[in-house]
Amino acid sequence: MAGPLAVALVLGLAGLSFIMRATGALLPNLPAAVTERTGGLAPALLAALVAIQLTGPTGVVRLDVKVPAVLVAAVLAALRAPFIVCVIAGALVAALLRALFHF
Amino acid sequence: MAGMRPNWSMRQILLAAAPIAIAVFVFGASFGVLAVAARLPTWSVVLMSMLVFAGSAQFAALGVIAAGGSVLTAIFAGALLNLRFIATGIAVAQSLPGGRFLRSLLAQLSIDESYAMSVRAGEPGRPDGRTLLVTGALLYIVWVLGTVIGALLGPVLGDPKRLGLDAAFPAGFVALLWPMLSGHHAVRCAIGGAAVALALAPFTPPGIPLAGAAVVGLWLAR
Repeated sequence: MAGPLAVALVLGLAGLSFIMRATGALLPNLPAAVTERTGGLAPALLAALVAIQLTGPTGVVRLDVKVPAVLVAAVLAALRAPFIVCVIAGALVAALLRALFHF
Repeated sequence: MAGMRPNWSMRQILLAAAPIAIAVFVFGASFGVLAVAARLPTWSVVLMSMLVFAGSAQFAALGVIAAGGSVLTAIFAGALLNLRFIATGIAVAQSLPGGRFLRSLLAQLSIDESYAMSVRAGEPGRPDGRTLLVTGALLYIVWVLGTVIGALLGPVLGDPKRLGLDAAFPAGFVALLWPMLSGHHAVRCAIGGAAVALALAPFTPPGIPLAGAAVVGLWLAR
């Protein structure tokens, strides 16, 4: 990625994150009905990110090495394995299947 | 844990934070490796950890970039994940010292882990401010250090695709998602978010499926 684009990415995300963390201190009287709902964002977005990562260029789910990688990571996560173990296991599954079957 | 009573000593805070610090360090290192593999300049990877200090948001933004998405979509994905800091910010604001300006600066040390620690160390409805600041500062240091180590280590590892690093993103998102799935609200938000994203993906430009998932998440949250 080119330098200016990387700067835009970092400063854009940093600026918005700063504002969100500062909001609570600056506006402590936001209604709870609004703030409680933000709890639903993280699970919905992470699940959506998993789903989108599994789609191909046409936007339809593609059955490639990422699918078994995610399944293995999900099983490990359910068994309360640490984050890094899930990530490495997912990558290893993908790498092994690629090496074996030339996907 | 030594006890749930409020006003932990500094030693108690650091002892409780130590295992979390190790996990955050490793998380930072994996972010560094993957960010460099996604062809972000090394300095920008470290700068992102210094200025954003939010693992799942950085990971989400990086996942979008690694999959060929635009910078705007990446910022959008990361920022939406960080919207929850508005709620935690309100919860900790009353426990932080100083006026509004100082509080809004100190609140930058809140991440999921330091917030959880401050809730555990505090009284019901009143997180412990000092625990938040000490834990947050410690985790900030190890997060940035981990990122530096990972970013330096990344190029040594070799071809990202042969190593399966593209599959590391969905695997990581699953690992971040799973501990959040306590309670049926979170589960239905996750299922709804994934379903809407998959339904929109074939017909809409990148970013729109995530926006749809965010709307569903807000809608199903309670």
